[in-house]
Amino acid sequence: MRIWMHELRLLLRARLALVALALLGTLSIAAVVAGSAEVDRQRDAIAVIAEPQESDIAAIAAWVDKSKDAGSAAYYSFHPTWDAPSPLAFAAIGMRDVAPFILRVRALGLEAQIYDGDIFNPELALPGRFDFAFLLVFLAPLFVIALFHDLVSGEREAGREPMLCALPGARRLWLRRVALRFAMLFLVLALPFTIAAIHSGAGAGAILLILAAAAAYLLFWIALALLVGRLGWSSVANAATLASCWLVLTLVLPTLAHVTINRAIPVGQGTEIALAQREKVNSAWEIPREETMRRFYATHPEWADSPPLGPEFHYKWYLAFHQVGDESVAGQVRAYRAGLERRDAAARTLGWVLPPVGLQALLTRLAETDLEAQLAYQDRIRDFHRHLREFYYGYLFTDRPFGQEDFARAPRFASP
Amino acid sequence: MSPTLLIARDELRLMRRNRVAVIAFVLLVLLTLTAAVTAWSHQQGIADLRQRHQTAADSAFDAQPNRHPHRVVHYGTFIFRPLGPLAAFDPGVDAFTGNSMFLEGHRQNTANFGDVRQSSLLIRFGQLTPAFVLQAVAPLLLIFLGYGAIARERERGTLRPLMLQGASRGQIVAGKLGGLGLVALLAGLPAMLGFVLIAGQPGAQVEPMAVIALGYGVYLALWAVLILLVSALVKRSRDALLALLALWAVLVVLLPRIAPDMAGAAVPLDNRLQTDIAVARDLRTMGGSHNPDDPHFARFKQAVLERYGVGRIEDLPVNYKGLLGMEGERLTSELFNRYAAESYDAQERQNGTVRAIGVLSPAMALRAMSMAAAGTDFAGHRRFLEQAEAYRYDLIQRLNRLQANAVIYADDTAQDPDADRRKRVAADYWQAMPDFTFRQPDGLTLAAAALPSLGVLILWLIAAGGGLLFATRRLGAR
Repeated sequence: MRIWMHELRLLLRARLALVALALLGTLSIAAVVAGSAEVDRQRDAIAVIAEPQESDIAAIAAWVDKSKDAGSAAYYSFHPTWDAPSPLAFAAIGMRDVAPFILRVRALGLEAQIYDGDIFNPELALPGRFDFAFLLVFLAPLFVIALFHDLVSGEREAGREPMLCALPGARRLWLRRVALRFAMLFLVLALPFTIAAIHSGAGAGAILLILAAAAAYLLFWIALALLVGRLGWSSVANAATLASCWLVLTLVLPTLAHVTINRAIPVGQGTEIALAQREKVNSAWEIPREETMRRFYATHPEWADSPPLGPEFHYKWYLAFHQVGDESVAGQVRAYRAGLERRDAAARTLGWVLPPVGLQALLTRLAETDLEAQLAYQDRIRDFHRHLREFYYGYLFTDRPFGQEDFARAPRFASP
Repeated sequence: MSPTLLIARDELRLMRRNRVAVIAFVLLVLLTLTAAVTAWSHQQGIADLRQRHQTAADSAFDAQPNRHPHRVVHYGTFIFRPLGPLAAFDPGVDAFTGNSMFLEGHRQNTANFGDVRQSSLLIRFGQLTPAFVLQAVAPLLLIFLGYGAIARERERGTLRPLMLQGASRGQIVAGKLGGLGLVALLAGLPAMLGFVLIAGQPGAQVEPMAVIALGYGVYLALWAVLILLVSALVKRSRDALLALLALWAVLVVLLPRIAPDMAGAAVPLDNRLQTDIAVARDLRTMGGSHNPDDPHFARFKQAVLERYGVGRIEDLPVNYKGLLGMEGERLTSELFNRYAAESYDAQERQNGTVRAIGVLSPAMALRAMSMAAAGTDFAGHRRFLEQAEAYRYDLIQRLNRLQANAVIYADDTAQDPDADRRKRVAADYWQAMPDFTFRQPDGLTLAAAALPSLGVLILWLIAAGGGLLFATRRLGAR
């Protein structure tokens, strides 16, 4: 134990090491605070949905109550959905700053609503967020380089290496120094994260997994530093070589891969869905209304015995052609989603070769802030939208009046 | 040959002998060329795709059958944001904003289908463009090549002999700076070759390109000066390297990420739910055109009747429903524009905060300058959104006017089986509606927007130059 304390004193006496560790600690706390602040802001935004939403619906209800028209209720009522951040979202904001976490939908065609975004400042999103994932993936390796580039070469340049190597247990000495530097880095990185993660109620399994991944990531960079160190170059050459490796692994290769993936897997369907759905929906005004109803009843047989349409406008036809429009682009929607998933899968595969990419993928997965989480939210919206439609169908297809009290009966979005 | 030139030549010879340095330099050139070519072809691909979609959307609009004008108000139209020629050099926020918009009556939709939500997580690692290479990678190469320029001489004790041989301090530093400066110039050259490609594009503007070339020149010169400065101040070359790497990490990687978080916290932004509900609430107090017994519209009706000198809307020479539509659209659009302007202004304030923090980081100043000159910053996106809204308003009002003038009120309110046919107007009207064309700002506007950030860069260069002068005078002193 004494010898460990001695090594620790030695390490902390080096100004560079001390400054580096202090800086990393400060950044680590700052990253966790910044991530938590962003997640708190999102939680607060979700928490205050209810009040304005209720007054909005109340105003619509007061007006619709005069006509008791379920169609007007369906047309004018927007229903909120939201995607609450997971306990670990603070560690990796992922896509949550550019994809909406609150979306209001109504019972009309969902394909014209579900791709809408929220208001965000693109210039703020462009450089990426300052969160724990950024600290770990991008900055931590630089600190590894600062602490490890001269581990052996520094002693050689000071003329102590032959002596140290001649001592009994020289291997253990180097091991001790590596272990100590690693432990200090890991501690400074992991402590603020772990405290915040426990505080926000994350599961022990996920926390341990992230800590293990962080340790493995640090060890990867340490191994790289030791490998370069074995070449017997000067400390300066080691630092330059390691910094180049960092540049290539964290910036150059991922950006190159991004271009390649987007080129290899084109995803153009988004716009095409929007165009096709709108064409289908609007064409309903050009064809006999019965044709639309026939198509609608084919997929919704439970309403097929609804009374036939009269000459005047009826909202059940309006909602039916919106639904038929959605169904007509189902194939494109699947293709679009598959394209997004293939792009994502390609990046994840790359993560097995490029540790920074792999770690980022793992962190955003555990934090549920990746594409998969986005698509899961969209699935919940689709589910909710179906309930919503069925709710209004229940009034429209049986010509039941829709009064003020019926607004409270509308399905409410439930977060998992 | 003057001592300055000799020293510069010697410095370059040393770099040439350093195999790692040569490899790094070649890699940088290759990377820039790759970036230029991919960014160029990516931009072309996007431009083609958007053009194709725009053509499809326009012809779908024109191909509509005989329709009631209000149907067309809801049918709406799709528009796509075209890319300026300089987006190939610096795409800025293009990937982070939606690039297509659905324009319809009574609603202001968001721009959708941005690349950031359609790409893998790799997009958040940065984008390989000539701008990125020059902003982030080129300074790092200069650091590797130049950190030891003076520190090395001092460490090896060759600085004093050099001075004893008659080279003044100024000549030594100038020579070293000249050598590194030449490398910086060479490093920037491939990106400028990409520029020449862009210059041949239709619509390429001279002023923003000149500002961009000047800005990147100042930026690389600044790094050369900073590197020499640190190399002159620090005792050992290893310390110089570590200090410069730390400086690079803070200025290029860390600050650009921290600043947006601070700006976001300082200036909160209303989300869409809040804005939509607020618009709906205000609309209810102003009056809704879909609500016939609204007080505002009662007054409007009275005014219309008086203007035409008739007692009943049935006696009006125009279709009252069209007029009603115009008035409703005017009210909603006013509200939309007010809330949108508030949101845009809040975002401008956020960006102002980032730029204020950016005074601390030349990389941030350069980024702001580059995007502004390329027209790919937030202001460029805002230009698109505002032009889109102006176009939307004009189109919807044309359709409402068409309803007022070409659809007879009695037909419009009729319910008989043939009424649907009589309500429709001829399809030629749709072809006569103007298509959306995005007006790029002129070159001077773009260049002017980039000037403040260019000023920050120049101030940095002056300050670093002053520091280097000071350090030069103390060179070799103990």
